[in-house]
Amino acid sequence: MVKKKGLLSVFVLMMSLVVVLSACGGKDNEGAQGNKTESQEISFMFRGAPEEQKAYEATVKKFEADNPGVKVKIITTTGDQYATKLKAAITGKSVPDVFYFDPGDLRAYVNGGVLKDITEYVKDVNFDNIWQYGVDIYRYDGDNVGQGSIYGLLKDVGPFALGFNKNMFEAAGIPLPDKDKPYTWDEFIKVNQQLTKDNDGDGKIDQYGTGFNINWALQSFVWSNGGDWLDETNTKVTIDDPKFAEALQYFADMQNVYKITPSIEDAATLDTYQRWMKGELAFFPVGPWDLATYETLPFDYDLIPYPAGSTGKSATFVGSLGIGVSNSSKSPELAAKLVTYLTASPEGQQQLVDAKVQIPNLIDMAETWAANTETKPANKKEFLDIVQDYGKPMPNTLTYNGEWYQLFFTDIQPVLDGKTTAADYVKSQQPKMQALLDKAIEQEAKSKK
Amino acid sequence: MKTKSNLYRKESYYGYLFVLAPVLGFLLFTMYPLLYSLYGSFTDWDGLGRMDFIGLANFKEIFADEQFHKAGFNTIFMMIGIPIEIILALLLALGLNRKMFGTTAFRVVYYIPVISSLAAISILWQWAYNGDYGLVNQFLALFGIDGPNWLTNKYTVKPALIIMMVWKNIGYSMLLYLAALQSVPKDYYEAASLDGANAFQTFKHITFPMVKPVTFFIIVTKIIGGAQVFTEINIMTSTGGPEYSSASVVFYVWQKAFGNLQMGYASAMAMLLGLFIFVITLVQFKMNERSSRDLE
Repeated sequence: MVKKKGLLSVFVLMMSLVVVLSACGGKDNEGAQGNKTESQEISFMFRGAPEEQKAYEATVKKFEADNPGVKVKIITTTGDQYATKLKAAITGKSVPDVFYFDPGDLRAYVNGGVLKDITEYVKDVNFDNIWQYGVDIYRYDGDNVGQGSIYGLLKDVGPFALGFNKNMFEAAGIPLPDKDKPYTWDEFIKVNQQLTKDNDGDGKIDQYGTGFNINWALQSFVWSNGGDWLDETNTKVTIDDPKFAEALQYFADMQNVYKITPSIEDAATLDTYQRWMKGELAFFPVGPWDLATYETLPFDYDLIPYPAGSTGKSATFVGSLGIGVSNSSKSPELAAKLVTYLTASPEGQQQLVDAKVQIPNLIDMAETWAANTETKPANKKEFLDIVQDYGKPMPNTLTYNGEWYQLFFTDIQPVLDGKTTAADYVKSQQPKMQALLDKAIEQEAKSKK
Repeated sequence: MKTKSNLYRKESYYGYLFVLAPVLGFLLFTMYPLLYSLYGSFTDWDGLGRMDFIGLANFKEIFADEQFHKAGFNTIFMMIGIPIEIILALLLALGLNRKMFGTTAFRVVYYIPVISSLAAISILWQWAYNGDYGLVNQFLALFGIDGPNWLTNKYTVKPALIIMMVWKNIGYSMLLYLAALQSVPKDYYEAASLDGANAFQTFKHITFPMVKPVTFFIIVTKIIGGAQVFTEINIMTSTGGPEYSSASVVFYVWQKAFGNLQMGYASAMAMLLGLFIFVITLVQFKMNERSSRDLE
């Protein structure tokens, strides 16, 4: 009897403690709601490399200075921890007021009630002066991305251009590539073979033509050859198309047949990136986020379009990252104000562009920036062309989740090693990827209900 | 009678108060998430919105899931490191248990990786395993061996991870063995030497049985830890390795839950993993009980 009573009182005590604890937790929110005016404190979660974080922190400071009384609480993580932290915050229902999100997560976040429709808050933004691509991928009408309400603005756009080492061409006496006319695939191989050589005669190759990472460069070859991962409706995996297989085979052959890249064993991303930086590669992709790092390159480089496959047209992808407002934010107006400040205001953009972490979101600012051929790379206009004319989003951002797309790269190694042909690979992989895509489509349908 | 019960009640009241904090912590931060995840495993929850009950569908799917099989195999395969670590740790402890110059320094050296951050160590080893500039291959080159690019080759990635994990954890097991060795009564050894036992016999009949409880403890905790290996894999092979050859179960759970919006499915896998660990540990305890009885 006595024992029972003891247990009961413990239970009561614990319950009351839980109540007290949760009341404490709720206090902040109540205070904010009690106020007639909006809370002046918002939280902002983002990620990025150290220089990028510094640039954003400085820009946020300026925002605070321009808006007296406003306090922005900054939460940063490294790039690889960001998704986990954000999703944990969503599951725990404590989403920051303003946060980065992947365009691929747009539908899930809207259907799941995580992102706020900010269309009415961004009415004053002059959308004629912002990359249409970067605005449209954050529009969603419940069925299609690209139209309807705005759920975020572009943090930036990331056109993935092709760079080349100018000095290497000059040393070898090869005419510089044309910045308006892409190489054909055959020409590209030939030029690479000329540039892959042993300079000091010790029998070891000192410089290679190129060294692409399949995750980020295969798209260019597939698209420029008329292939793609998905059909137009984004419901069918089309990698078993011969055009696709041809591009994949070409990609693998750069290594196995033409030997214009460092051997597979040496070709982990870090290595080719380092080789490029040391001036041992003739061609290497260049993203705007690299510009600050590439300032110190010991050679001169410039941008050209990617080599073109059977379509005769160059292709590459444009990445992007959105900044959105939490649906549960207590001060959505202020949150949206921070979003527009960071993404669409001349003051905010100028700060970020000066920090050399991105290309400007504002078209007029970007054109001024690109017209300056004094700074490296001279042909910065290629970046703008990619965004405006021919860049495409990554296939995995077009579907509810990207699992099917991941599977393509998970099993690709035997193709790169030359142990499986591209044609066999795409045939065996297509059904598995299709099954995962079907599941994603099913999931999406459920999330809309 | 009455006074006694009053006193008892008062005492127990304070007693309960003292255990309240950890019990509350357990309920809030362990029990509640556990039950939540258990419920989640029966739903098609995407981690964002509604949870629809779908019964055992997740579990059925898991058994046909090729990726899960791969991850499960990898996880168990990487446990090969456990016996290696235990043997090496015992040998090290035996060596460092002697009165020799510099043993304290060696004990510190072997223990340093244990207290270092796993993330930092993973990054260091990632560099060490680099095919071009890595320390490991540079070392191998001294002997004329052309080392592979350890982490991007499906045959070398698991051994590479095992070596690193053994290196990281060996100091911990070594320290436990050292403590156990030092608590073995000296007179046993004196008796054995009087009986003319050689070093191996002494080890077999005295040392090994005396440190058996520590061996048992290490095996149990290592298997529990090994089944949950994640950080080093996530950092060193961020996509799960070539052809998914280094992905562990927890890695796959994490990918499903946070990358692919399948929190329900991930919860189901986590439940299975929890069950697996529970059963294995139970079996180990039963086996230990029996063998202790046999000894007596």
